[in-house]
Amino acid sequence: MIESIEASPLYPIANPKSIVVFGASNSITSMGTSLLDSVLDLGFEGEIYPIHPKESRVQNLKAYRNVLDLPSVPDLALIVLPTRIVSEAMDACGRKGIRHAIVISGGFKEVGGEGANLEKELVAVANKYGMRFLGPNCIGVANPRRKLNTTFMAFQGAPGFIGMASQSGSFVTQMFGYLSDYALGFSTAISVGNEANIDLVDCMEYLGACPDTRVIALYIEGIQRGRAFVETARSIVPKKPIVALYVGGSEAGSRASLSHTGALAGPDRLYEGIFRQSGIIRARSVMEMFDICWTLGSIPRIKGRRVVIQTHSGGPGVEAADACARAGLELPSLSLETIKRLRPFIPKTGSINNPVDFTFGKNLIDYFSKIPKVLLDEKNADILLFYSFTPKQRLQRLMRQMGIPTDQIEIQAAKLVNTYYESIIQLFENHDKPFVGYTFQDLKDPLVRILIERGIPIFQGPQRAARAIEAAYQYTLLREKILAADSQEAGMGQS
Amino acid sequence: MRADDLIQPALDRGQSALSEYESKKLLSLYGIPVTREKLSHSADEAVSAAAELGFPVVLKGCSPELMHKSEHGCIELNLRSEGDVREAYRRIINRVDLELEGVLVQEMVSGQRELVIGLTRNPQFGPCVMLGMGGIMTEVFEDTTFRMAPFGKIEAKDMTEELRFKAILGAFRGQKPVDMDMLCRTLIAVGQIGLDLDTVSELDINPMIITPEGRVVAVDALVLLRRDEK
Repeated sequence: MIESIEASPLYPIANPKSIVVFGASNSITSMGTSLLDSVLDLGFEGEIYPIHPKESRVQNLKAYRNVLDLPSVPDLALIVLPTRIVSEAMDACGRKGIRHAIVISGGFKEVGGEGANLEKELVAVANKYGMRFLGPNCIGVANPRRKLNTTFMAFQGAPGFIGMASQSGSFVTQMFGYLSDYALGFSTAISVGNEANIDLVDCMEYLGACPDTRVIALYIEGIQRGRAFVETARSIVPKKPIVALYVGGSEAGSRASLSHTGALAGPDRLYEGIFRQSGIIRARSVMEMFDICWTLGSIPRIKGRRVVIQTHSGGPGVEAADACARAGLELPSLSLETIKRLRPFIPKTGSINNPVDFTFGKNLIDYFSKIPKVLLDEKNADILLFYSFTPKQRLQRLMRQMGIPTDQIEIQAAKLVNTYYESIIQLFENHDKPFVGYTFQDLKDPLVRILIERGIPIFQGPQRAARAIEAAYQYTLLREKILAADSQEAGMGQS
Repeated sequence: MRADDLIQPALDRGQSALSEYESKKLLSLYGIPVTREKLSHSADEAVSAAAELGFPVVLKGCSPELMHKSEHGCIELNLRSEGDVREAYRRIINRVDLELEGVLVQEMVSGQRELVIGLTRNPQFGPCVMLGMGGIMTEVFEDTTFRMAPFGKIEAKDMTEELRFKAILGAFRGQKPVDMDMLCRTLIAVGQIGLDLDTVSELDINPMIITPEGRVVAVDALVLLRRDEK
C-alpha cells in the first residue's frame, strides 16, 4: 500500500505538467495526430512538445527534431511510433532525463515472436534509466480533472468519481459517452495494455489513493501478479469499494488433471473465490459494473438487505418486489408507527404495505416529500427503492382545468416538477439512510436528468436497481469481513 | 516424523503420488482429522487390525498407483466379522493386478454429508484451497469455492458461506451442525501444506465426511507429487 498518491509511478503519468509526443504529425490519418488532437481538444494546460523528424510545426505547436533538443525535461512521454523504433525513442527519453512514458504502439508481446523480443528490449531500456511506463499496446490515460486525455477518442462528459483500470482500451474510450448519459464520469481511467512495466496492481494502488475516486472499476481478462493483487485489494476495500468484471473465464480447466481439485479449478471458479477473498464485487457485465459503481459512489453504506418500495401504481410495485426477492433482498413489513404516519397521505384506493402504493393521492407533492421521509425513517428497512416518474402530464391537465393559459402550462408544469424534485433531492442529500430509484422513463428526459445530475441513481427497470442494491450490500459485508480479519491479525500480533 | 520423511522416499521410489496411507499420514502431520487405519500385509494382519479398530471396518487396496480406487473394485465396505474381513482381503488381492503396498484396514465412518477439500496450484496465485460438495456427485454439482493460501479463520468460514448447499453444514435431518472450527482449521492446514511443500502439486480429500455428531474426518485422500523434470 502506498502512502500517498504522489508515491505512485502513475502519478506523473496521470498528472503531468508537460508532455512530449512522439508520432503526431500534420497528417490527419495518423493515430499520433488523433491522440494529440484529443490532448488539445480537452484543453491540456501544460507544455506540449511534439517531436517530428521534418516538420517545424505540428498542429500549431512548435515541433522538435529530437527530444534532446527540448528546453526542459517533460514529465511524460507519449509514444505512438512504429514498433521497431519505440525502444530507440524510449532510450532518447531516458537520456533526456524523462522518467515516465505511455507506449501506445502495438506489435509487441500480443503478436508473439519478434514482438515479444521487442517488448523485452523496451523493458530493458526502461530499466536502464529507471523509467516507469504504461503499455505497450494501450490507449493511455484519461484524467479529465487535469484536462488530460491521451486516448485517440475525444473526451465527452464531465469528471466523475469512478476510477477505472482496464485491460481493454475500448472500456475507457467508449465509456465516455455511456457514463455521461448517466451523469457519471471517470476520476481517472487507465488502459493498461500489455502491462510490461506498470500493471493492474499499480493502477489499483493509484486509484486507492486517489482522492477523486470513490469507487474503483476493473475490467480484467487475466491477472499477472496474483498474490499482490489480493493483498492490494484487501488494503483498499476498507476505504473504498472495488467492482470487477472478469471475462475469459469460461474456458475449461487449462490442463488435464488427475485430482478432482485440479479438474474443478477452472479459471472462472478460481477467480470467483479470489475476488471474494479480495473483497471485490464481481459484476457480470460492463453495464452492471457501472450500475454498481453508480450506487456505491452515490449513497451511504447500506446496513442490511431489507428494502421498502414506494410506487404510485400496482404493476411497477409488484415487479420491483419480485426483482428484489430474486436478487436476494428482503421486503420487511412496515412498522405500526410507519403505517400510522403514512395514513394521512395514502388514499383508500392505495396500499399501506410494502410496496407502498400511492395511486392517485390528493397531494402529489407528498409522493416526493412526506412519504419518502416516513419510509426512510422506517426502522425495519435499510434502503428505500423509489419508483420515479415525472408527473408533468398530470400537472398540465390540472392546470388546463384551472384555466391557466396554454402557453404558460408547459413552463409552469416543469417548474412545479422542479419543486417536487427539490424535496426529494433534499431527502437524498440529508437523510442518513440510502435510497435509489427506478423508472421506465428515458434518462435523457430533461426532467429525469434533474434527479440523476444531482447524484440520485435511477435505474431503468427494477432488476438493475435490485442487483445494484444487493451488490452495494455485498460491499458492506466484504468490508466488514476484511476489517474483522485485520483486527484479528493485529490482535494475534500483540499477544 | 516430518513431511519430507514421507515425501522424499516416495519421490526416490519414482512415485508420482502418495498412497492413501501415506497421504493421510501427511494430513495428520498438519492436524487434519483422518480415519483410524492400519496397513496389513496378510489376511491375519487384517483380522487383528480390524479387531483392534473395532467392527465394522473397510478394506482398501493401497498403492500409489491406485488413484481412483472404486473404479478398480478394491474397496470393501461395512465388514462386520473376522470372516467378512478374510473374504474381502482375498477378493481385493485377486482383483487387483498391481503390486500393492498392502491392504488398508480402516474404521467405517458413517455420515451422509460429504465434502471435498483440495489443493491446486495456479501460476499467478500460487497454492489455492478448494472446498466443495464431495462424494460421487462432486463433478455433477460443481458446488465449489477457492481461496488463495494463506488465509485465516474468517476467510475459511466465508468459504462455507459461499457454497450453494451450505444448508447441510447446519443441523440437518437430525444430525448436528458441522464442527466449524475443525473444518476451518482443516482448510487453513491444506493451504499450509501448499505453502510449505513445493513437492506437493495437488491434493484431494474426497470425501471428507461430516459425521452425525458434526465431526469432520478425511475418509480418502490423494497427494500428487511434483517430480523435477529431468
